[in-house]
Amino acid sequence: MTQAEIKLCSLLLQEHFGEIVDKIGTHLIRTGSQPLRAIVHGTGTSLDQVKKALCVLIQHNLVTYQIHKRGIVEYEAHCSRILRILRYPRYIYTAKTLYSDTGELIVEELLLNGKMTMSAVVKKVADRLTETMEDGKTMDYAEVSSTFCRLADTHFVQRCPLVPDPPESAEAQPPPPAPTLSINEKDMYLVPKLNLIGKGKRRRSSDDDAAGEPRPKRPKQTAESKEPMPDDGIYWQANLDRFHQHFRDQSIVNAVANRMDQTSSEIVRTMLRMSEITTSSGAPFTQPLSSNEIFRSLPVGYNISKQVLDQYLTLLADDPLEFVGKSGDSGGGMYVINLHKALASLAMATLESIVQERFGSRCARIFRLVLRKKHLEQKQVEDFAMIPAKEAKDMLYKLLSENLISLQVGCQ
Amino acid sequence: MAEVKVKAQPPDADPVEIENRIIELCHQFPHGITDQVIQNEMPHIEAQQRAMAINRLLSMGQLDLLRSNTGLLYRIKESQNTGKMKGSDNQEKLVYQIIEDAGNKGIWSRDIRYKSNLPLTEINKILKNLESKKLIKAVKSVAASKKKVYMLYNLQPDRSVTGGAWYSDQDFESEFVEVLNQQCFKFLQSKAETARESKQNPMIQRNSSFASSHEVWKYICELGISKVELSMEDIETILNTLIYDGKVEMTIIAAKEGTVGSVDGHMKLYRAVSPIIQPTGLVRAPCGLCPVFDDCHEGGEISPSNCVYMTEWLEF
Repeated sequence: MTQAEIKLCSLLLQEHFGEIVDKIGTHLIRTGSQPLRAIVHGTGTSLDQVKKALCVLIQHNLVTYQIHKRGIVEYEAHCSRILRILRYPRYIYTAKTLYSDTGELIVEELLLNGKMTMSAVVKKVADRLTETMEDGKTMDYAEVSSTFCRLADTHFVQRCPLVPDPPESAEAQPPPPAPTLSINEKDMYLVPKLNLIGKGKRRRSSDDDAAGEPRPKRPKQTAESKEPMPDDGIYWQANLDRFHQHFRDQSIVNAVANRMDQTSSEIVRTMLRMSEITTSSGAPFTQPLSSNEIFRSLPVGYNISKQVLDQYLTLLADDPLEFVGKSGDSGGGMYVINLHKALASLAMATLESIVQERFGSRCARIFRLVLRKKHLEQKQVEDFAMIPAKEAKDMLYKLLSENLISLQVGCQ
Repeated sequence: MAEVKVKAQPPDADPVEIENRIIELCHQFPHGITDQVIQNEMPHIEAQQRAMAINRLLSMGQLDLLRSNTGLLYRIKESQNTGKMKGSDNQEKLVYQIIEDAGNKGIWSRDIRYKSNLPLTEINKILKNLESKKLIKAVKSVAASKKKVYMLYNLQPDRSVTGGAWYSDQDFESEFVEVLNQQCFKFLQSKAETARESKQNPMIQRNSSFASSHEVWKYICELGISKVELSMEDIETILNTLIYDGKVEMTIIAAKEGTVGSVDGHMKLYRAVSPIIQPTGLVRAPCGLCPVFDDCHEGGEISPSNCVYMTEWLEF
């Protein structure tokens, strides 16, 4: 971790959680994984406060723990995860574009609280939405629940790992120093069957007419919260990797729209949407999709004929971009999206854009030339790029000084 | 017993006649004749006389002496050269020979010295002499501006010396290249525009947005912006720079031999494209273009909190 990154993490922790959490968190980033006692000694804060700070950090998935041999539990902070806090607004905005205000608030609540049960989320979101609505209208729990289910189905929220049920035949073993959490792959997006009935409650503001009403309401609310919810113990968190996957898909669709036309980008978007859940995020290719399937899944209102779709797919597969590939002929033609190639092309385009904006279009020409041809002599650079020798030399040395190009002495 | 050795004495051949016969033979075999051939033709001449005749012809400059893998060859020299060389001495002929051999790439004066083993002063005198007689000329090489190469007067210098169509008098014509660059790009862009607007089915749209290198070449020639004649390879180098600019993409398709513009059964097609991403985030914020990026840190003289560029940018 670089000094700048550590400083940034420290500032983020301070802004979101306060001084004490900041001190503990920064200490952990600097020193790696440490047991509890060492943290207490190292930061000079009391054991109680360290415990509370660690609770907050673990709740937000910023710190994890591990049981080492001899039963010592060590805590480790994840700097990259802390830096993701910067992206929270982007995640919330994405949820808003996909699932409107309800989705936005659900994701916001989950991000701000780390982990929550479904019922708690639903209630809170319904209350918040009700406040923004006109007088007399309330948000129904059922609507919020259905949005929550949709978020879970598309993997944007996931269940947190739990303590597994102890096996029946286990003797009375002493409990381990720290629980080991795990979760079954197929349970991760399973929404518990809750019967949440109710409506959002509007919080009375002070200048509202019924001044005496809040008092009887408060004891009633506390009485409500004493009831154990049926989904106690099942906590949910936001699935950040899924959001990153969404951003990746968006960039690919935009790239296709820039290079080709709107219809091609819609087809690619459909293909990516179909592979959202079936393809893991690190896979080089999506699952093969047949042209018939794609035709059926096109968004309603996009009335292009099957023939035209086939033509577009052939064009996409033949394009020098190589984002789409043809993997077979069954079902009208099987097509995959070449994810690794797409990401590599986007990365290269980003680099070229930086060189172009920072150093000028002639430097960008030389940069692209060397990228494509791998090794070139100075004379060859001048000839291919058609730049006069003096200027070419100048630009090559400028790129060399910024470490964008490296020099290799060849054997003559 | 006195044996009268009657040697069949061949008639004393006239040296001039021998020479003429040799020249006739050379004309018959323009690639050169060996000593054996001359011997076969004129068996009655002794080796000595033959050698004398050949030497005379060589010194007169009417024959060339070449070494081949079978032995020595004698070849007739072109008559125009023999006319030119009248009045020149052997050294000049030697130097002239070396320059002629260098063809249209020319040869540097130092190389002439190595090949002929003549001292520098002699070489320079001979070169001045030949230049004044308009037999050779000096051409400045574009690779090293101080170097002069010599070649025969009537030869066109090779591209590697003059730099080809892009150099005029040793100067790389950047504006010319720029203009061509823009013209080619405009041509391809307008072709892509018309294809896009035609709203036909996507296959036809895409195929009509391509232009082969031959088409671009014809367009540029018809524009008439170039005083120098440009070949299709020249246009292809210009189109390659457009590819390195990220404005154009190229595909190679197999074309039947005989289709206009195909080279070795392939044809290169070019199409104007737009970049796949917008300018990236880092360079849209002031930090990406900041000249003092490396000196900026919190608490220093240049820091994010007192950054002038940042303040300006945020005041939109």
